[in-house]
Amino acid sequence: MAQGKTAAFPRQRDNRADLTRPIGIGFVLVAMMPLVILPLASIFYYGLGFGQGITFGFTQGPLHFWNALTGPAALFSLKLSLTTSSVATLCNVIFGLIAAYVMSKYDFKGSSALMIIISLPTAIPTAVAGFALLLLWGRTGLLGQYLEPTDYQIMYTTAAIILANIFVTFPLAFGVIKPALDNLDTSYEDAAETMGASRWQAFRFVVLPSLRGAIITGALLTFARSIGEFGSTIMVSGNLKMQTQTAPLYIYTKFNAGDVEGANAIAAVLAVISFAIFSLIIFTRKRLEK
Amino acid sequence: MAREMVAPLHETRAWVEPEPERRESLVVRGLSKVFGFEQVLDNVSFSIGEGESLVLLGPSGSGKSTTLRLIAGLETPDRGEIFMRDRQIEHLRARERNVGVIFQNYALFPRMTVAENIGFGLRIRRVKKKKRREVVDRLLDLTGLADQRDKYPSQISGGQQQRVAIARALAYEPELLLFDESFSALDPQTRVGLRREIRALLKKLRVPALFITHDQQEAMELGDQIAILNRGRLEQVGTPDEVYNDPQTEFVATFLGAANVVEGCWRDGFIALDCEQCLAAPRPMPHQVMERVKMVFRPEDISLGAPTGLVETPYHLGRGQVIDVSFAGASESLMIKLLPRGYTGQLSNAQCQTSSDNSCNLVIKVVRTKWEARKLRLAPGALVSVGLRSYKILRG
Repeated sequence: MAQGKTAAFPRQRDNRADLTRPIGIGFVLVAMMPLVILPLASIFYYGLGFGQGITFGFTQGPLHFWNALTGPAALFSLKLSLTTSSVATLCNVIFGLIAAYVMSKYDFKGSSALMIIISLPTAIPTAVAGFALLLLWGRTGLLGQYLEPTDYQIMYTTAAIILANIFVTFPLAFGVIKPALDNLDTSYEDAAETMGASRWQAFRFVVLPSLRGAIITGALLTFARSIGEFGSTIMVSGNLKMQTQTAPLYIYTKFNAGDVEGANAIAAVLAVISFAIFSLIIFTRKRLEK
Repeated sequence: MAREMVAPLHETRAWVEPEPERRESLVVRGLSKVFGFEQVLDNVSFSIGEGESLVLLGPSGSGKSTTLRLIAGLETPDRGEIFMRDRQIEHLRARERNVGVIFQNYALFPRMTVAENIGFGLRIRRVKKKKRREVVDRLLDLTGLADQRDKYPSQISGGQQQRVAIARALAYEPELLLFDESFSALDPQTRVGLRREIRALLKKLRVPALFITHDQQEAMELGDQIAILNRGRLEQVGTPDEVYNDPQTEFVATFLGAANVVEGCWRDGFIALDCEQCLAAPRPMPHQVMERVKMVFRPEDISLGAPTGLVETPYHLGRGQVIDVSFAGASESLMIKLLPRGYTGQLSNAQCQTSSDNSCNLVIKVVRTKWEARKLRLAPGALVSVGLRSYKILRG
């Protein structure tokens, strides 16, 4: 009897472990269904014409999806989103890299206060961020009033979109690069210096390659966040068709005008881009940060 | 000049005056460094001869790593001078000094292959690709790493990483190699093998080297000279033989292997120990009469004999009782309690501050070879006479 019990005991445990596994995974999937997966799926479901006649009454199949996607305003909005996000990403990665280097190398008065300020923008509602930019650069704004006589203006231009993107994604790249730099042993730089390298050469040849993974991850995060930016963009861009209308603004405008199909096409593209970016982030993490 | 003539022999000679024919490749003079309120280095001076190696030995926090960083140019000294060959370098940047440093964790660049790591110094010096390849290949052969050239540091063993670190430092022909506790991360077997290999390599290439370690065994194996640092001060510089057999301070004596330190009082050619054992001083001592002294002798300097017999060693320490015996293969180590012996001479002297109670509890450590142990087998409780082959007197 005793023997049977000892033999049965581990099997019982195995059985229980086998049960928790599917239950756990099942719970996660079931919870995600209405919250995340189904909303995303419907974009493609209706976008590709499967929902014909069921809802809205506009969806007419893949050809119409394609036409909606390749319309000049739609293409323009996608292109604008991609370029402004790229510029904002470039700015924030360069800034994040320099700021991370400075903050992790030097200890100075007020460095922790600076850390908080750098990290602040993600915590601020995007509408507030857009409003703040307007107050600074608008016609009567703190700095905008000096631009007024020059006939040059920042608000309601591409530059405004970039500024808004930079503001809301400011700490993302910094937040990824700083811990990577903190963890990097300073003896690498010491070694490079004793071997004859200047500060810059040590940074260029030794520090930078070690940060490759962090830089790529930081850039992708910034890009993903900024390509979907809506709240601040709609306040500072003016939402001018073929001028300052980014992809999220296009979706919003089309939907408001009743053109669900037009909105749906761009939504599908943005969803694919985001999916691609996050797959890349996970992929680079696995490959580069080993 | 005259001061030097009368300078007592036992005093630490901080800086060894170079002999005329000896060329120095590194001279460090009066190096001092303060971090915050802590004097990390206090007036440290030493020198390394052409093609020689010197080991800086000291416990953690003794300032040895700081010394290395000062010589490498990774820190700046508060006071003092550093000369390499005839160049004064303490004001130069690290990259202008042309020294090779082997770091404790080797600090191999993780994103470069073995070959790229070795070639880095030459790449910085804008050496042509073809010439660079030649040098790298030669060093890969020299260090036996030819088949590892395209691997990354994380893919090779600790011992191989150390070879890469050495090859990398040798590539640009530095005037001095600095090893920062470079063996501590290796397993004992690899460590011993590599030490021997590196010593041979350094002798072959005639590159002067400075090692840093807290391991006295390693220090004696690697150094032509050993400099012992304690709390930022240099205690003694000398050959391994000198520092082991002729320690100038109690710290040196006890840090370099086991040592018995017994306090006593010196007078008229005799040492009166606190337990009133006594023996003849080996030679005229430069100490004052009635001075407190410490007697230092190593466990292997002691010879044990039958309690009634005469000891054959030059000095006699008295009688003792075996407390503990432990077998260690090639040798046997014993703890002996020295027994008080009423001394009838005129040494019990108030001025000498010899404790006169006979209840002293002086226990010394003794090491005997296997053959000595066989000649006179001892068990705990046995009485022995304790003889001394040699000893050293330090000021108390």
